Amino acid sequence: MKVSFNELQGMGRKAFIGIGFAEGDAIDAAEMVAWMEAHGLGGVAALKKGLDYLLTEDPTEALTLVYQDADFSVLDAHNHSILGNASLAVELGYARARARGLSVTKIGRCHNRVLVIGYLSRLARRGMNVTAFWRNSHEPLIEQVVGFKAGHPVPEICVYSLENAPDDTEKNDGITLIMANHVDLLPSLRSDYALTNLMRQTEEDLERQRDSALVEGLEVDDQLWNTLKSLADRLLVEATESSRSGAGSGASDND
Amino acid sequence: MATQLDVQPQLKLRPASRVMNLVRLGSLHASRLSFSRSLVRQMAREDWTVTTVRSELDEQGHGAVIYRLQTPHHTYHGVMFSQHLEPERRSDRVIAEAWDVTFALVQGEVEDTLLEQMAANVPLQEAGRQHPRLLVLSRANKSLRNFDHFVEALALGHQPDPAWLTRVGYLYRTTAVYGNGKFGIADYARLQKNPDFNRPFSAQMFAVYLLRHFSIQQVEHLARVRSVDRAVGLAPALQRYLGIGNSTGLGMAPFLINHPQLIQQWVYCRERALAWAREQPPTVVSRLQLMTLLHRAHQHFVETVTEDGEQTQRNAATIVSIAAVIRWLDQMQATPNLWEELLDWADDYCSLEAQELINTLLIELYPDLIDAAENELGCEEILELQPEMRVAALKQMIESRFAWALDYDPKNPDHHYWFWYRSVEKEEPRLGVRSDEHGAEKELSLAIGPRIHRTYQLLDAFLDRSPRGSVVEFLMAHPGQKECVRRIQTMGATPYGEIQANLWHRGMKPMHLLRTKLSFFGASRFDPKSDRWVRVTLFQGAPLFCELFSDHGTDKERLAALDDWSFPVEPDSDLL
Repeated sequence: MKVSFNELQGMGRKAFIGIGFAEGDAIDAAEMVAWMEAHGLGGVAALKKGLDYLLTEDPTEALTLVYQDADFSVLDAHNHSILGNASLAVELGYARARARGLSVTKIGRCHNRVLVIGYLSRLARRGMNVTAFWRNSHEPLIEQVVGFKAGHPVPEICVYSLENAPDDTEKNDGITLIMANHVDLLPSLRSDYALTNLMRQTEEDLERQRDSALVEGLEVDDQLWNTLKSLADRLLVEATESSRSGAGSGASDND
Repeated sequence: MATQLDVQPQLKLRPASRVMNLVRLGSLHASRLSFSRSLVRQMAREDWTVTTVRSELDEQGHGAVIYRLQTPHHTYHGVMFSQHLEPERRSDRVIAEAWDVTFALVQGEVEDTLLEQMAANVPLQEAGRQHPRLLVLSRANKSLRNFDHFVEALALGHQPDPAWLTRVGYLYRTTAVYGNGKFGIADYARLQKNPDFNRPFSAQMFAVYLLRHFSIQQVEHLARVRSVDRAVGLAPALQRYLGIGNSTGLGMAPFLINHPQLIQQWVYCRERALAWAREQPPTVVSRLQLMTLLHRAHQHFVETVTEDGEQTQRNAATIVSIAAVIRWLDQMQATPNLWEELLDWADDYCSLEAQELINTLLIELYPDLIDAAENELGCEEILELQPEMRVAALKQMIESRFAWALDYDPKNPDHHYWFWYRSVEKEEPRLGVRSDEHGAEKELSLAIGPRIHRTYQLLDAFLDRSPRGSVVEFLMAHPGQKECVRRIQTMGATPYGEIQANLWHRGMKPMHLLRTKLSFFGASRFDPKSDRWVRVTLFQGAPLFCELFSDHGTDKERLAALDDWSFPVEPDSDLL
């Protein structure tokens, strides 16, 4: 079915609160999904993929700060979706970069990482240059790099596979964020490296996609929409005769 | 682009503690910056034209009518579906499932396939899936007494008695006017680059204005059906005096609380206009203009009828106050301090509604400057976190900018008497008594005051442990506070950040919230039907489509005369 951006955002917000997210996290999560979908970056598909995990997670379990110094922070997301309170890890990196000019933040053990792009747009709006980097799998090894220029509403995105990557047994379930106050950090492919360019999206591509989404609406599959609606319905209160009559004028409208 | 208002160096804005007081906000009137006024000015200035391209009303006035709107930039269509409605199904509540008229504003053409889709979905309103080219979706119910009286009178070759429109100023009242992506229609973001409808609620206001046009055509059609030989058209003065009603309840409250930056922008533009107006040197002409406006407003309130006891008293107080203002002003000369003296005098001797009425009328005197602000009434609603801020600075910000929120006393049951929630019945917003009714665990977080109070307490404890801590460190310890913190940080930087009231408080009156929003829409004739339900009138007195056409001239005087329709008074029946 087709839905509007505002509908997807609104339904998402209510559904996330229904799951047990704090209000601020629900607002951010819904914005991330809708933002990604409107820019053609698969927000709805990512949510669909991660929703079953989300429903089994404890939304009140906060991420843990494993290490920090003035420039560098490492956090553990406990195998939770980035849609939860992981935005605070991003904000920690932002605060460090504001103080120090540059920061590196690593969030380990998190899912739905692609959705972080929707939140990074907030930081760019506040004047921060941001690059996010993560790896998706081992065979073939795929790297994704997203770069926001300060003040720009949309990023540039590179996705590529590496053909001759050195052996590496670390799990690819983390994300690294680099933020800089004063210099651009845009992704740029090195042509002399053995890689296959899978996707490169420019700012113009993403803005075109957004304009088209506003005209055409966003496609959401019925099953996911019904699931979100049933989660959102958890916030509704059963009606009673007194609640029904108390909310109106108490008089006939046949006048 | 900076407007003249921006370059005024030191405007004396009224303090937020005064302006954002809920009782004062609940005393506001429509002004020349209200959205309905602004829309009519734009239509006249830009020579918008409306033509009927399809009219298929049957002998009962049921069927479809399509209007074409041409602006300098785009083409739109208004599609109206009128149907028979059994009286037992007629309800103004959101829980209704059928209405006398349902309608939509469409961007572009209405092809047969789109019309078919709309015919199947628009009458269902929330229960339908609407097309993304619809900009506005709405519905309305008849004012049965007025409607029947008008058809009967016109069919007999008479003009209806204007007193009917003074009692109830419309033939139809809308019960919801949806925009911004609701039920599949276009997002507001789509309109942001569209000069026709990029102001807040301007597309919705146009749809309501079009309904007014339809209502006139429909009663004239029915009168002709009843008596083709004797029927007459509605007199132009009555057409002008005819508005469109709106019936609304608690649904407006969540919007006000969930769009604090937009509300700040609306209030800021109005307050800036007032601050500028009061600094202008009064002249003999402007003093007389104000007297004229006061006389008309006085008559408007003398004629205004409501069954609500409290609003009747408020109207009576306004009438007494305005009469006193007229007497006072009559004795005064146009000295340089006249406006300041008038406002000081009004503070001492006038009711709250009358004080705000004087402010509204002062703004009327300076259109050249003030109308520029109408392009600044919109904004993107984004609450931003400042994670690097020191917790001590955030605490200080609460103390200096949100002191009103710290008045909340968790130990006092009256301070958390109400809770707000959405009912399972079409998600209708409702109020419950916390100690008596179930559902408080699912309440909507609309009471900003108590939330800020809670944040303040947590900040206080955190500061004991981490005197140099940052906001992000505080939030890592209290992640649930993120939304409240970024709201404090964002709104704390604005002059009119928040409605300063505890929405849980036993003494809180939801009617003030409704009136706040409705006044910016341009509503008049506030007619409460309970403590949380109100009927109002929009566009009463506004010029008609046929009067807006540039064939009549586009000189400044004519446009100013077209714009002068606030606080309308009953037309003389002998002159119809």
